[in-house]
Amino acid sequence: MNVDLELVQRVQAGDKKAFDVLILKYQQRIVHVITGFVHDPVEALDVAQEAFIKAYRAIPNFRGDSAFYTWLYRIAINTAKNHLTSRARRPPAVDVDAMDATNFYDAPELKEFETPESSLISDELQQTIHQAIQDLPEDTATAIKLRELEGMSYEEIAQVMECPIGTVRSRIFRARDAIDKQIQETMGEGE
Amino acid sequence: MTVNQNELLSALVDGELQGSELDDVLQLLHTNEQARNQLQRYQRASDVLHDHSLSHHHIDLTDGISAALQDEAKFTVSTVSKKPAQIIAFPTQFWKQATSLAVAASIGALAVVGVMTQPQNQIVQDPQIASVEVETSPMVVAQTGKRWTIEEQEVEERLNSYLVDHNEYAGASGVFSYARVVSYDLGQ
Repeated sequence: MNVDLELVQRVQAGDKKAFDVLILKYQQRIVHVITGFVHDPVEALDVAQEAFIKAYRAIPNFRGDSAFYTWLYRIAINTAKNHLTSRARRPPAVDVDAMDATNFYDAPELKEFETPESSLISDELQQTIHQAIQDLPEDTATAIKLRELEGMSYEEIAQVMECPIGTVRSRIFRARDAIDKQIQETMGEGE
Repeated sequence: MTVNQNELLSALVDGELQGSELDDVLQLLHTNEQARNQLQRYQRASDVLHDHSLSHHHIDLTDGISAALQDEAKFTVSTVSKKPAQIIAFPTQFWKQATSLAVAASIGALAVVGVMTQPQNQIVQDPQIASVEVETSPMVVAQTGKRWTIEEQEVEERLNSYLVDHNEYAGASGVFSYARVVSYDLGQ
């Protein structure tokens, strides 16, 4: 099941709750992308909200020719550029390639806009997550690495690890839960 | 939050939900604030492992967007689906006129093709061209340095036959034959 496409189809059929899930999944990445153009964080939130609203209005035209995130990414960039133009500010001269969105890496042009503080948090988060993975039992660590670093599906991981898909799913969840707890402990986050 | 609910959220991050689980997740996220936060944390850890850059501030745009979209009509299937193509029925008189026009155009086209073909066929009968058909020298085809040299009888014969065939067909199409100029240069 392509969950994003399934969610889009539900939105197209009138289910607004499905759009909430798409927002939850992608809002942090979209806000970061927009912050690359609109450097003020508060302003970036407004532009991100506008981008999601535009995406919702345009979603009847989404046919699934590209991944949903790629499509959303383009809308976000255009919204940010239009925002800068409307404020008589010049959009960045270097364009951002939408393919970067599908290649699972953010555009290098956008990384330049990271502040020292956000870079520090990113590094700390990376270290915490990798440390948490190292502390996991071997089968759990292998499952999460195959999923997140190798990009394998549950079915492929089940074949590699010679276990049922349900076991893979359970191991990946346990890994995620352990990582989440480690992040909360180390970085003082949580509910 | 139960373990099963968290496992569902983890599977959602991976896009690995099965059957009706998406309905369960949608319901859970709609009613449980804790589940929404948990999904975001799982998603963030996954994004970091994929080397995506993220905003590190806690964000939840869903309320603001929902409020902004509150007055907008929900989409329906008919909004999304394409309009059926309209079939245009032409009157019988139109088809009669169109058929007559098509016949007249065909005759005209045949006449034009006939006129264009005639002079080209005459060129093929040119004695200079005909002489190439008997050209079987196994030695150097050209010595000027601007053309290839052929020392194998079989290859040369094959090339000559290709050139002759080409001349016959190219002449009929009304297109000027480049090969004719090249191949008969030596004979002049």
